[in-house]
Amino acid sequence: MPEALAQALINGVIAGTILAVPALGFTAIFAVLNYPNFAIGALATVGAYAGWVGNTALGLPMVAALALAFSATAVAGLVVQWAAVKPLESAGALMMAIASLAAGLVLENALRFGFGNDLRGYDLPLLRDWRFGEFRVGPQQVQNFALALAAMGMLWAFLRYSRTGRAMRAVADNRDLALLRGVDPARVAAVTVAVGAGLAGMGGMLVGLDTSVDPLVGTRLVLSIFAAAVLGGLGSIPGAVAGAIAIGVAEEVAVLAFNPAYRLVVGFVVILAVLTLRPAGLFGARAS
Amino acid sequence: MTALAVEGLTGGYAAADHVVKGVSFTVAAGELLCVIGPNGAGKSTVLKLMTGLLRPRAGRVLLGGREVTGLAPRAMIEAGLVLVPQERNVFGTLTVEENLVMGCFLDPRRARARMAAVTDRFPLLAERRRQAARTLSGGQRQILAMGQALMSEPRVLLLDEPTAGLSPKAAADLFALVRATADSGVAVLMVEQNALQAMQASDRALVLVDGRNAHEGPAPALACDPGIRRMFLGGRGAGSMDATGTYREPHP
Repeated sequence: MPEALAQALINGVIAGTILAVPALGFTAIFAVLNYPNFAIGALATVGAYAGWVGNTALGLPMVAALALAFSATAVAGLVVQWAAVKPLESAGALMMAIASLAAGLVLENALRFGFGNDLRGYDLPLLRDWRFGEFRVGPQQVQNFALALAAMGMLWAFLRYSRTGRAMRAVADNRDLALLRGVDPARVAAVTVAVGAGLAGMGGMLVGLDTSVDPLVGTRLVLSIFAAAVLGGLGSIPGAVAGAIAIGVAEEVAVLAFNPAYRLVVGFVVILAVLTLRPAGLFGARAS
Repeated sequence: MTALAVEGLTGGYAAADHVVKGVSFTVAAGELLCVIGPNGAGKSTVLKLMTGLLRPRAGRVLLGGREVTGLAPRAMIEAGLVLVPQERNVFGTLTVEENLVMGCFLDPRRARARMAAVTDRFPLLAERRRQAARTLSGGQRQILAMGQALMSEPRVLLLDEPTAGLSPKAAADLFALVRATADSGVAVLMVEQNALQAMQASDRALVLVDGRNAHEGPAPALACDPGIRRMFLGGRGAGSMDATGTYREPHP
């Protein structure tokens, strides 16, 4: 049992790190635009398919396919924002969230129409798991983990050192003051949507690499992404990472005790517990 | 030389609701003008109308003779007019250094040189450059807010109640810094509730009542005016300024 728990912890940290990528996209959009973008699941699916096309049809290596997934999803995210969400901006955050949910359904079914319902797999070599005593780790898992860490590192450097990243943080912190200092909030919002959606696409592809690609690959992640963002504190970048790792570990550990079919219950329980006990989440102040 | 001229400025938060009704004044380079008045007089609204946060219904704003009425905040910065709002005037989650860099957002190539100039003037900001702004005290935040505004090297600096919520000591220190900023050649317009101390630091004062110019003149003279003291300061009036510029109440 202790070995099973330790294996679940290893798997959970890896799964949580991958989940952190789309959770970062979700929370960045919330921080700057002040609404939860529930199209994030469908956007993750767009990324998974874009990466799959790049890898299998165009023969791109994994990093290049990941870049394609990011770019294609960034464009899809901007289309969702401008076509579905922005026209309802004056109606408030709830209407924008509902619009994003509807746009997600449209995207998901467009992908179903284009690619069908079959499971698709990336063109990957079959490799044996690495064994460390009682523990096993798949080389693909490790690669995905490393790619997720690299994506988070690049996002951190972008937000910390670039002029646009600093402007994004400034708008998220204090939109009115950012405007008074010359920042164009509309431009920052567009960049944030593109980056946030792009991260969701990368996350979708990383999950697809670990499992397979189908029209619901991203939709299945929405609850976990939302739970991670709520747990960390909506709008908090470090919170999204911590929340995602906690959700990843909790989902893996829950499988030890319950039927895997109940895995998704973890997300619901976490959301319920956080909203009841600490509405601001672990790191956030915005949600309170 | 007149750096800022406001002529007949009128406007408010709704089309039919004119909080500000034809306010006019000028501020010269190196001059500190304080605007005082009772709550609801329209002091902060004047600043919002001037900086493009609210659209004026009538009147003009001129910077160095060039009309800038109704320009967007970005264009106002480029013209040399910068506002420090009363509340939430720093980016709390950014470091002191990042806050200063944001003050030079439109001209990032000058950020390094400007930061050296601003931290020379406010050494506290250099000492705390890596600290998150939300961890600063109220007075330190106001200094950071001023430093951030000065990063773009404005010709005109607008301050909205910079001493609100500060201790008397911190307020006195801040007034001294505002005075020094004006003495460096910047035209400063300061809206204040802390009327007496503000007038002691200022060259001239403008009293607004119900959105209109009520009194205007040299700050020391207005600070001693019995009518002004009775109306806004709660004093007994008819006192005088001593050699240090401090108002002395009349002997009973």
